Amino acid sequence: MLEQLLIFTRGGLILWSCNEFGNALKGSPIDTLIRSCLLEERSGAASYNYDAPGAAYSLKWTFHNDLGLVFVAVYQRILHLLYVDDLLAMVKREFSQIYDPSKTFYGDFDEIFRQLKVEAEARAEDLKKANPLGGGVNKKQYHKAGSEGGSVGGRKSSNGALKNDGGDADADDAGGKKGHKLENGHSNVNFVAAKDANLKNSGSVNGKENESSNIGAFDVNKLQKLRAKGVNGKKAEAKVAPKAEPVKKATKKNRVWDDSPPEHESKLDFTDHVGDDGDRNVDFLAKEQGESMMDKEEVFSSDSETEEDEDERKNNKPDAKKKGWFSSMFQSIAGKTNLEKSDLEPALKALKDRLMTKNVAEEIAEKLCESVAASLEGKKLGSFTRISSTVQAAMEEALVRILTPRRSIDILRDVHTAKEQRKPYVVVFVGVNGVGKSTNLAKVAYWLQEHNVSVMMAACDTFRSGAVEQLRTHARRLQIPIFEKGYEKDPAVVAKEAIQEATRNGSDVVLVDTAGRMQDNEPLMRALSKLIYLNSPDLVLFVGEALVGNDAVDQLSKFNQKLADLSASSTPRLIDGILLTKFDTIDDKVGAALSMVYISGAPVMFVGCGQSYTDLKKLNVKSIVKTLLK
Amino acid sequence: MDPIEQFEEWKEQASHLWRVAMDHLRHVPPTQLYAAAAIVVFTTVLLLSRLLKRAKANTIVLTGLSGSGKSVLFYQLRDGSTHQGTVTSMEPNEGTFVLHGETTKKGKIKAVHIVDVPGHSRLRPKLDEYLPQAAGVVFVVDALDFLPNCRAASEYLYDLLTKGSVVKKKVPLLILCNKTDKVTAHTKEFIRRQMEKEIDKLRTSRSAISEADITNEFTLGVPGEPFTFTQCSNKVTTAEASGLTGEISQLEEFIREHVKP
Repeated sequence: MLEQLLIFTRGGLILWSCNEFGNALKGSPIDTLIRSCLLEERSGAASYNYDAPGAAYSLKWTFHNDLGLVFVAVYQRILHLLYVDDLLAMVKREFSQIYDPSKTFYGDFDEIFRQLKVEAEARAEDLKKANPLGGGVNKKQYHKAGSEGGSVGGRKSSNGALKNDGGDADADDAGGKKGHKLENGHSNVNFVAAKDANLKNSGSVNGKENESSNIGAFDVNKLQKLRAKGVNGKKAEAKVAPKAEPVKKATKKNRVWDDSPPEHESKLDFTDHVGDDGDRNVDFLAKEQGESMMDKEEVFSSDSETEEDEDERKNNKPDAKKKGWFSSMFQSIAGKTNLEKSDLEPALKALKDRLMTKNVAEEIAEKLCESVAASLEGKKLGSFTRISSTVQAAMEEALVRILTPRRSIDILRDVHTAKEQRKPYVVVFVGVNGVGKSTNLAKVAYWLQEHNVSVMMAACDTFRSGAVEQLRTHARRLQIPIFEKGYEKDPAVVAKEAIQEATRNGSDVVLVDTAGRMQDNEPLMRALSKLIYLNSPDLVLFVGEALVGNDAVDQLSKFNQKLADLSASSTPRLIDGILLTKFDTIDDKVGAALSMVYISGAPVMFVGCGQSYTDLKKLNVKSIVKTLLK
Repeated sequence: MDPIEQFEEWKEQASHLWRVAMDHLRHVPPTQLYAAAAIVVFTTVLLLSRLLKRAKANTIVLTGLSGSGKSVLFYQLRDGSTHQGTVTSMEPNEGTFVLHGETTKKGKIKAVHIVDVPGHSRLRPKLDEYLPQAAGVVFVVDALDFLPNCRAASEYLYDLLTKGSVVKKKVPLLILCNKTDKVTAHTKEFIRRQMEKEIDKLRTSRSAISEADITNEFTLGVPGEPFTFTQCSNKVTTAEASGLTGEISQLEEFIREHVKP
């Protein structure tokens, strides 16, 4: 059963809610939907799953952009309601006819809604009955579904009726598995990343209505199949992984994980020779390098801005000329009635390409464009505006919204809070190999030290040769105490001891350096997860290089996923912030910043932009957005 | 066709039209001409006066964390009712209207422009669009669920109090403790004290990075003394309200104080 159907304005006023259902929703699914989905530029997704204690809802929504209305339907996730998309589209159509901005109460809509619902339900029933017969159109589409969704099994190649059952079973199966997974508390909210079934539906509406609803329902089915496949795939992965693990362990055990290493390997550990004469010559102070760039104000001259704007205009001109100079001018003066998806497509495509040339991951660019399209479709184009400029403005707003940090990035404030509680503030630096974790750890240490915060480093990279020595050199140059325990120790234990040591000697901040690891390396990710679980740091900082392109998505999502999956606690710690390194090497290809923030939801806290200790900056959102859209 | 050629052609056409128009003008009686001129002058004056009126600050900005009850207060001020409730706002609510509580009053009452800016942190940049025209800012605080949100609210308030557009124009600010109809709600004195304490701590951490932070152009309070709101260059007051039950008289007073009828 449908739990609730709400119509509200983008300003937040509820215009109409279905009061015949009566039963109150558990938790606040609508608010959560708005905060974590619609405002995060994820409105291109097809549905949103919400979990409250004792309830699991699915939410679907649609916008009426011209009137600024949002329609949201809430239903129990275990029920796969086929008619929701259809119903939402009809409600949208009917309601927009009676909508009046000055009116805030629509008691008369109750009757209309009841009719619409009966209609939609009847259509869904018809569909169910019609399906086993398998019309020509249906069959064709099911075959398409089979090939598109990947071959899940031999079952799929049998006839239409069987497939339908199979699809349902799969879907139920998926529901069950998902429920189980959620019980483990691994993820509370998941997006169903698929094309908006509703959009597709409305696109093919010109045929018979019955057929169109068929297609709508088919989309839902396909979606479920895909989901089922996803779950199966994941399961398969999980099955494979433990198998692979013992083999790997057998080969690596000797070096890293064993408590008592073979005799000759202890020779590799040179860390006990602290303060050897050979190292003395690096002992000069780095203190005199001036203030860190974190503290320097960046001045943006308004001249350069206007220049850029002019450039932009010049760039845009040829675009307009192509379409026919006069017609586009006429259109811009008259103002177009309502924007349709087909109108937006060329502009969006151009924008997507531009984003991708700026090194934004393709997946992210695609999602962003979809979300911008969803927010513009049906809107009236004002006079004296072009579609491309409207799309650009909408994209700019979206980008600013994404890059604006959701949580406070005032680390010093957090440090002071921790100081009051008499415990050290622990920052763990994680990331893949060679992105500059240790270097930027030293930069952060330098910056903190400048603000009279006593810092301690913990060398928990017990994996790579020379890592401890590298950190020790930094520590000596900055005159910062370092905690180290050699190479063959468990990093989690080293970190634990370092924090205890910091509590004893009254250090305010502990910066924990970890070994670089690829996101697919399960044993190492497990070790990291253990380190984080054992020490519960105040900040998990993901260090990523700005050079990375499509891999940024993979890195961050896998790190987050692994930290969640491999954690022993029910509320796993995820990545809290991002440190973007090598920012000076990328010129205008700043897309990695956007990709990383979008995929993780964590803000960029620092930007490393050079080789010296002072080269640490804050992210300037405005300049990034300007560069991205240039 | 070459655009320059096209342009030349147009120029020719325009000059021709101009000549025809001038010929026509000579045949028109002068009284009609004067009337036309008068109408043109009148409309420009009207337009200009409207523009000037807009530029004058008569906007009250409602702001605060998400979920503190700004939208409800907005609709209470406008319609005197919360209708069927609200959800998290995605866009500002904006309106120029006579306050609902004053619609029954006799005499001419000036309408107030009220903006309710969403509190979600992603939407905060929107606030900068409205602050330059603000005659007063209302910072709404959830008095019921105050302690868990104290830090976030104080940070937001700190950012607000150090904004150039607020400090330079000395825009008065009202800290409105909402949801006081509930029994467990904190008092406004308690909230004021807690926020002062929190801002005092923020001052030390923010002043350390203020050079880097472009948004904070000004520092707060007197160095070396614990921070109180009386040290601000603009007037900061506190009041209580309850959006749900419609107890908003103190808010209306504040608005009337700063937007004169």
